[in-house]
Amino acid sequence: MSRIRAFTMPKWGIEMTEGTVAEWMVKEGDSFTRGQTLCLIETAKITNEVEAEYDATVRRIMVTGGSEAEPVGALLAVFDEGAHSDDEIDAFIAGFTPAEGGVAQGASKTKVAEPVGAIAGTPERVRVPIETNRPISPEALRLAEEESVDIAAIEGSGRGGRITHQDVVKAMRGPASPVLKGVLALPEDDAKVFASPLARRLAALHGIVLAGVIGTGPRGRICKADVLALVPEPANSDTLAPPAFVAGANQPEIVPFDRIRKVVAQRLTQAKQEIPHFYLRLSARADALLDLRGSANLVLGCKASVNDWVVKACAMALVRHPEVNVQVHGTDTYRFPHADIAIAVAGPKGLVTPVVRQADRMRIDQLAAETRRLIDKAQGKGLGMEDMEGGTFSVSNLGMFGVENFDAIINPPQGAILAVGAAQRQPVETAAGGVAFETRIALTLSVDHRAIDGAAGAQFLQTLKTLIEEPQGLFA
Amino acid sequence: MAKMMYRDAIRGTIFQEMQRDPRVVVLGEDVVGGMGTAGGPEAIGGIWSTSTGFYEAFGPDRVIDTPISESAIMGAAGGLALAGKRPVAEIMFADFIGVCMDQLWNQIAKFRYMFGGKSVCPAVIRMPCGAGYNAAAQHSQMISQFVTSMPGLKVVMPATPADACGLLRQAIRDDDPVVFLEHKFLYAMTGEVPDDPDFVIPFGHARLARAGEDVTIVASGMMVGYAETAADDLAQDGVGCDVIDLRTTSPLDEEAILDSVEVTGRLVIVDEAPPRCSLATDIAALVANKAFASLKAPIEMVTAPHTPVPFARELEGAYLPSPAKVAAAVRKTLAYR
Amino acid sequence: MGEEAGMQLNREALTRAYRQMKLIREFEERLHEEIQTGEIAGFTHLYCGQEAVAVGVCEHLSERDKIVSTHRGHGHCLAKGCDVTGMMKEIWGSQEGLCNGKGGSMHIADIDKGMLGANGIVGAGAPIAVGAALSNKIDGPDENGKLAVSIAFSGDGACNQGTTFEAMNLAVVTKAPAIFVFENNHYSEHTGDAYAVGTAQDIASRAEAFGMKVWRADGTDFFSVYDTFGEVLEFVRTPGNGPAAVEFDTERFFGHFEGDPQRYRGEGELDRLRATRDCLRKFREKVTGAKLLTDADLDAVDTDALGTIEQAVADSRAAARPQPENVLENVYISY
Repeated sequence: MSRIRAFTMPKWGIEMTEGTVAEWMVKEGDSFTRGQTLCLIETAKITNEVEAEYDATVRRIMVTGGSEAEPVGALLAVFDEGAHSDDEIDAFIAGFTPAEGGVAQGASKTKVAEPVGAIAGTPERVRVPIETNRPISPEALRLAEEESVDIAAIEGSGRGGRITHQDVVKAMRGPASPVLKGVLALPEDDAKVFASPLARRLAALHGIVLAGVIGTGPRGRICKADVLALVPEPANSDTLAPPAFVAGANQPEIVPFDRIRKVVAQRLTQAKQEIPHFYLRLSARADALLDLRGSANLVLGCKASVNDWVVKACAMALVRHPEVNVQVHGTDTYRFPHADIAIAVAGPKGLVTPVVRQADRMRIDQLAAETRRLIDKAQGKGLGMEDMEGGTFSVSNLGMFGVENFDAIINPPQGAILAVGAAQRQPVETAAGGVAFETRIALTLSVDHRAIDGAAGAQFLQTLKTLIEEPQGLFA
Repeated sequence: MAKMMYRDAIRGTIFQEMQRDPRVVVLGEDVVGGMGTAGGPEAIGGIWSTSTGFYEAFGPDRVIDTPISESAIMGAAGGLALAGKRPVAEIMFADFIGVCMDQLWNQIAKFRYMFGGKSVCPAVIRMPCGAGYNAAAQHSQMISQFVTSMPGLKVVMPATPADACGLLRQAIRDDDPVVFLEHKFLYAMTGEVPDDPDFVIPFGHARLARAGEDVTIVASGMMVGYAETAADDLAQDGVGCDVIDLRTTSPLDEEAILDSVEVTGRLVIVDEAPPRCSLATDIAALVANKAFASLKAPIEMVTAPHTPVPFARELEGAYLPSPAKVAAAVRKTLAYR
Repeated sequence: MGEEAGMQLNREALTRAYRQMKLIREFEERLHEEIQTGEIAGFTHLYCGQEAVAVGVCEHLSERDKIVSTHRGHGHCLAKGCDVTGMMKEIWGSQEGLCNGKGGSMHIADIDKGMLGANGIVGAGAPIAVGAALSNKIDGPDENGKLAVSIAFSGDGACNQGTTFEAMNLAVVTKAPAIFVFENNHYSEHTGDAYAVGTAQDIASRAEAFGMKVWRADGTDFFSVYDTFGEVLEFVRTPGNGPAAVEFDTERFFGHFEGDPQRYRGEGELDRLRATRDCLRKFREKVTGAKLLTDADLDAVDTDALGTIEQAVADSRAAARPQPENVLENVYISY
C-alpha cells in the first residue's frame, strides 16, 4: 500500500514546544530503512537522533538543516514509497495541517512566529496583586506583583516617595557589594602640570619632567607629541602595552686574554680553587628610586619591584662598563654588547637563575613583565634550559628577607654578581651638620678577578650607585 | 469648542479673566500701542496681537502701556502682585530677560521665601520666545533653562491653542509667580479650544501627545510638534513613540517621564535651547538617576548647538532641532546594542 | 517758614514719634554690640542716624500705604509698624522671626503692614514701589478723595541705578501715586556722593528732570522731614497728580555694613556728626525748648524703648531655631 507520510517535529516531553533540525542524514530521493538515522534534532534540553520507524523514500525536505527552530508538529519532510508524482506530493504539502493540539496547528510554513510566540515566548507571569495606597509607577507595580516583591520595605525615590521601577529592581537585587579600588596617590607634579594621562605615561617612561614643558594641546594641555618631541632618541614607544620582546643576536666580542691577563688568571685560579673573587661594597641612597617607582608604576600601570629597578640599573651600568659585562671562558673574556642578567630566584628545588635577556634595552614595564614571567615559571612548573643559559651578570637580592648585606658567589662563566641588601633608613649628616634620615641599600659586587679589575668593578659600581641615586638616568 | 489661533487663545483668555476678576491687570511695552501718537491708543494693539481691544474695554488703569523699561515692567508686576493685583506682564521678547533678570530672579521669584511664606505674588510674566523668524541672536532665544532653574517660579510652555488657553487661565488664577513662555512661531497655529470660561489645565501634568512602547520622546513648546511629526513618521516603520508634552517645566511631571521610560527603556529629549545646563540635561539627569535600571540605550538629546541663534535662514535651520533630527535620534537609540 | 507744622503735633503724637526714633536707635545700637559677639550671622546694615527720615515719613502713613525699603531697612520696618520682637528674632535667624528665619536683616517684610520688603539689591525697590502705586491707582481714591501712596526709599547709591530711573519714568508716564524718598547719607557703601552722584550731590534734580515735583529737606530734623513730607503726601494723594520725590540730607553713624572699618571717614567726623547732626538730640532740644515735652517725659520714653529692646533680645536668644526640613518650605504656595 502506498501512502504519503508527513514527517513532523516530534514532541519530546511535556515542555517541548519547538526544535531545530540540526542536520539531515538523508537527502531528497534517498531511500531509508527502519532504524536508520534520519536527522539530528536539537531542543533547548537535548540533541537527539531521529530514527526511521518504517522503510520509505525521502520526497521532500521542508526544513534545511541548521535553520530556524520549528514548532512541534511542523512539517519537516515528506516520505512515501516512491510511487507518487511531484504534483501529488505538492498537493499533500498544500493540504497538510498539523495535528490537533499540536503547537504548529494553524501555522503556515512561512509564518510560524505568531503561534510560537504565543506559546514559546515568555509565559504570562503569575501576578500576585498588591494592594497599596502608596504612590508607585505602573511598571514598578507590575514587576513587584510578578516577582512578589514586598514593596513595604522599599523607600520610593520618586517625588513624594513614589516607588519607581528602578526601586523595585534594586529591592530584588539586594544590597550591592562593590569591589573598591581605593584611593591612588597622584603623581607628584599633578597639581602643577596640565597634561594628558598619555603624556604623563610617556613622560614617566622617558624620565621627562613635565614641569615647564609648553603644551600644544587644547588649552595648553601637554599632549603626547609634546613629550615625544623631548625624547632624544627616536621614541621607541608607539604603543603603551609592553610589546613582546624579541632578543636579537648577542654576539660577543671575543677578546683573548692577553699575556698578562693569562698570567693573572692563571695565578688567581691557582690562588683559589674556584673563581678568584673579590668584593666591592658600597651603599646607595634609594629615596629617589623608591619615589620614582611609585609614580612610574602608577602612570605605566606596571608593578615593577625595587629589584627590577636594580636590574635595570645594572644593565645600563653594564653596557657602559662592558669590561664588567663579561663571561670568562678558559682564557677568553667574552664581552657582550648587551646585558643578559641572571636573577637569583628561590625556586621549589632550590636556587635558580633565569636570565633576563638584553635587560639594558628593556623598558621598566617590559622588564617587570619579564621578571614576573620568569619568577612565575621558576616557582611553577619550572624553567627550561633556554631560560637559564648564558647570562653576562647576576643579581641576587635578599633584601626582602631583611638581609642588610651579603657576598654572593659568581655564577660562572659570568664575570660578576651583585648582592643587594635591604633598603634601610639610616641617619646621615647633612651639609649643615645636622642629622637627617635617608633610605640606603647596601650593594656588594663579587667580581671574578681573572677577568675584571677592581677599578673596573668599582667604576661599574659607581655608575650603578649614581643610577640608583639619580634614577632619571635610567631613562637615558 | 471653537477653532482658533494660539494667539487668539491667549488674547481671549486674558480678556475673559480681566472680565471675571478686576484684579487682573495687563502691562508691557506697546500692549496698547500708539500711546502718545497721532494714531492714538490701540493704533497698534500689541505687536503680537495678544492684547488687541483691551485698552478700550478696561481703560488705562488696568491696561498699562509702559515705556521700554523691562526692569520697571518686571518690578511693577512684582509690586502690583504684592499689593494684591494679578498682573499679566508682557516682556515683548523673552531675550529681554537679560535687562530685567534681577526683578524676576532676585525679587519676584524670591519674595515668598525671603518673607517666610507671608507674601503672595500672583504675577504672570508672558515671554514670547523661540527661533524661526530669522530674528537672530537677541530676539530668538529659548530661555526655559534659566527660568526653570529658578526656585519660586513656575514655568509654562504651551504647545497648542487649547493648552495656551487652559494653562494661561491657570497661570492667572495661580497664586505663585508664573513665567509663561509663548513660542512666537506657534502664534498662528490653529486648534480647537474649549469654550468653558473656567477651562484650566493644572500645572505639573504632562500631555501624552502620541503613544507607543518603543521610545519615549520628551518635548515642550514648539518642539512638541516636531516630536509628533517624527513619531508619525516613525510609526510608518512600526516604531511606536510616547510623545510627552511637558506643558510645564516647573513643576515637572517626573512621573509621566519615568513611567514612560520604564516601559520603553529609550529616551529622546527635544529642547530648543543650547545643550549645556538645560531642560534636556535636566531630564537626562532625572532619568539617569531614577530610571537607570530601565534604560536600554543611552539617552539622546536633540538640542540647539552651543552657539547663539544665527540669522540666515540656512543657519537658523541648521541651529534648530527638526522632526528629521528627532527621528534620527530615535533610530539611534533603537540601533544601540 | 514760620511755625513748623510738626510742632503743632499733640503730646501723644510727639511722644510716639520720639519713641519710634528712639526704638530704632536702640535697636541699631544694640545690634551693633551684639554683632561683634558673632552671635548674629550674615550682613547687617544699620540705620542709626537716619531715624528722623523713616519716622518723619511713616508717621504720616496708614496701613493702606505701602513702602519698599532698602538693605538699610530696619528703620523703615520699625517706623511702618513691623513688630520689634519679630524683627529681632528674624535677625537672630529664629523660626519665630518675622520671616521664619528665611530672610534675615536684608529681607524683612510685613505685607499686612504695607511693608513690601527690605531689599538686598541696591536700586531694586523703586520699580516694585511703582507697581504697588499702580495698584493704589487702580483701587482709586478713598471716601475723602485721597489715593493711597507707595513709597520707594532709596539712598544716594540707589539713585545711580537704572532701575530707579526706569521706575521714576514709569511712575511719571502712568501718573502712579508713588513717592521717591531719597535719603542722601553721603556714602554709597564706601564711596562719597561728591564722587558718585554726578548731579553735584543733588539727587532731587534727577527726579525733577523726569518731570516730577520735588522737595528737599534736612533729614536730621524730624520736624523738617515731617512737615516737608506732609506737603509731598498731600500732592501725591491727590488723584491725577502722579508721583513726586523728596531728598533728605541725612547721616549714617555706622559703617556701610557691620564690620566696615570706615577708613573713608574724616578725622573726628563721627563725633562731629553725633554732636551736631543727631536727630534725637535735635528733637529733644526742640520739644523741651518749646516746652512741649519735658526731659523727664523723654527720659521715660528712653527707658521704655531700652526695655523693649532688652526684652526683644532676650526673647530672640530664647526663640525656637528653624529645623533643617524648614529649608523646603515657603518656596511656593502650591507646587
